[in-house]
Amino acid sequence: MKTDGRDIDPSLGMLLGEGSGQQVKRDDERMEAVLPLPWDKTPTVSETDPTYYDRPLLKEPVWKIDIPIYYFLGGAAGAALALGAAVQLAGDGELQEFGKRCHWVGIVGSSIGGALLVHDLGRPMRFLNMLRVFRPTSPMNVGAWILSGAAPLAITAGLFSNRQGLLGHVGSAAGYGAGLFGLGLAGYTGVLVGNTSIPLYQETRRLMPVLFLASATASAASILDILFEDRRSSKITFIFGTAGRLAELGCGFAVENVAGRVPQVAKPLHSGVSGALWRTATALTAASLVISLIPGHSRSRRKWAGVLGALGSLALRFAVHYAGTASARDPRASFRQQRAKMIA
Amino acid sequence: MGAKGFFTDTTICIGCKACEVACKQWNQLPDDGFALTGMSYDNTAALGASTWRHVAFIERPVALSNQMADGFSWLFSSDVCKHCARAGCLESCPTGAIVRTEFESVFVQQDICNGCGYCVVNCPFGVIDRREDDGRAWKCTLCYDRLKDDMTPACAKACPTESIQFGDLDELRVRARGRVEMLHEQGMQEAYLYGDSAAAQPGTEGLNAFFLLVDKPEVYNLPPNPVVPTKNVGQSWLSMAFAALGVAAVALGSVAASRHGGAR
Repeated sequence: MKTDGRDIDPSLGMLLGEGSGQQVKRDDERMEAVLPLPWDKTPTVSETDPTYYDRPLLKEPVWKIDIPIYYFLGGAAGAALALGAAVQLAGDGELQEFGKRCHWVGIVGSSIGGALLVHDLGRPMRFLNMLRVFRPTSPMNVGAWILSGAAPLAITAGLFSNRQGLLGHVGSAAGYGAGLFGLGLAGYTGVLVGNTSIPLYQETRRLMPVLFLASATASAASILDILFEDRRSSKITFIFGTAGRLAELGCGFAVENVAGRVPQVAKPLHSGVSGALWRTATALTAASLVISLIPGHSRSRRKWAGVLGALGSLALRFAVHYAGTASARDPRASFRQQRAKMIA
Repeated sequence: MGAKGFFTDTTICIGCKACEVACKQWNQLPDDGFALTGMSYDNTAALGASTWRHVAFIERPVALSNQMADGFSWLFSSDVCKHCARAGCLESCPTGAIVRTEFESVFVQQDICNGCGYCVVNCPFGVIDRREDDGRAWKCTLCYDRLKDDMTPACAKACPTESIQFGDLDELRVRARGRVEMLHEQGMQEAYLYGDSAAAQPGTEGLNAFFLLVDKPEVYNLPPNPVVPTKNVGQSWLSMAFAALGVAAVALGSVAASRHGGAR
C-alpha cells in the first residue's frame, strides 16, 4: 500500500463516513439556539432547585408550523368524515347532499393535511417508509396507516356514494370506512402528542386525545357552517358544533387543571406566546358558542359563529404546538414533574 | 455478543474531552463551532446530531464529603446516549429505522430514517436530534462498526482515566457496585449509581450506559425519574377510543335529532 512516508495510510483520513458530510449551524446561530438566556449572575448550582446552568434537558420538537395546521385540517377532515358516515347510517334522502359535503370536507382536509405531513419530514421522499411496519407504540406510525386509509376511502365515498348500482355500494361502504378512519384521524394526533417526553404533554396524555377530538368536532361543524347553508343540515351542525365547542372548552379547562398539579408544567399555558394563543383560543371558542346559541335563525350569524369557532380551534392547535416547545425548553418542568411522581 | 454498554464513573473524569474528540474523529462528525457558551468551560453545551459525547462541567459551591478544601468542588461527567433497555426513540420510530443490535445497543439505520422527528421528542434524556442539513436523526451508535470488529468504542478507548468503561453489562454492573462501596469506605458517602438496573430506574428498565454520580441527577442535567413515554401510550389510546365513541354518538344523535324537528 502506498503511504505518505510516515507509515500512515492516507485513505484512513478520508471523510467517507455517513456522518461526515454533515453541515452544522454557524456558531452564533447555534449558540442562540442552545442558550436559553444570557445569564447575568455567576452561574452556580442551587442545592434546592438544581439545573445544569438552566439549559434545557430535552430537545424541542423539530416540527414546523405544518404540523399544527395539519392537526387542524386532519382533525376537521376526520370529524367531517365521521359525520358523513353518520348521515349515511341514520339520515334520509333529504340529507344525501349534506353527506356528500361532509365527504368533500374530509377529502380536502386529509389531502392537504397529508401533503403538509410529508412536507414536514426531514426526508419527504421516504414517506412510504412509514408503512414498513405496524407499531401501536408509535402513534406516528398508526397515524400514517390511518391517513393512508382515510384519504382514499374518503375520495371513493365522495365520488361514488350517491350513485346507483355496484359503484354506489362501493361508495357507501367506503363512506362507512372513511367514517371509522376519520375518527382515528381526528384523535390519533392527540395520542401522538401525549406520547412524548415533553412534560406538559406527558402530564396531560389522557386528556390530549379528548381535547383533539373535541376540537376536531368543533372545527368540522364550523367549516360546514361557513361553506354551506340549508335548514336541515344546519340543525345537524348546530348540535354537532355545540357539543364540540362545549367539549373543547371543558377539556381545555381540564388540561389546565391536570397540568397545574405541577405548576411549572402548566406554565406555558399561562405565559408567553403559547399562553396568549391558549387564551385566544378559549375566547374565540366561547364567543362562537355564545353567538351560535342566540335564538332565531340568521345565516350571517351562523357564518360568524363558524368563523370564530374555526379560528378558535386553529388557535388551540397552535397553542398546543408552541406550549410543547416552551415546555421542552424548561428543565425545571421535567425535574419537578418527575420529583412529584417520586414522592407520590 | 451479549449486552455491551458503558459505565461512566464521573468521580475520575478530569474533563479533558478526549472522548468528545475521539468520537468526532472516529465517526467523522463535524466540529459544531468554537463559540463560547459563557456558562462554564463546557462549550459543547449538549448532545445533538453532531455531538455524541458531551462533557458536563459543574462548578459547585459545596465540597465533597471526603474533600480537604472547603466550599468548592468540580464535577465532570461525560454524557452519552444511554441505550435504554426500553428505548423511547426505538418504540416510537414509525419506520422501524431504529433497531436493537446484537449488542443490545440502540442503532439508527440511516438508509431508512425519514426524518419525522418523533424520536426527538420521545427521548426522556434529550439525546437524539435531527441533522440540520439532511433531515435524518442521528445519535451515538455505541460505535457499532467498531464493535463488529471486536474493538472498544472510540470514547472509551480514548479516555485517559478510564472514567468511561466499556464491556459486558453484567461485568460492568459488578464493577460499578464495587466502586460505589469503595468510595463509601473512603468517605464519599454521596456516591451512587444512576440507571444501573431496571429496579433503580423502572421508567427506562435500566440503562445500558449508566453512571456513577455524586450529586442529584439534575445537577448533571439528567432527569431524576425518567419514564419512556411509550410505556404509557396505552392510556392515551384508551382515552382516544372513549372520546371517539363519544364523537360517533354525537354525530349519530345530531343526524337523528334533525329528523324530528331538532333544536331549530
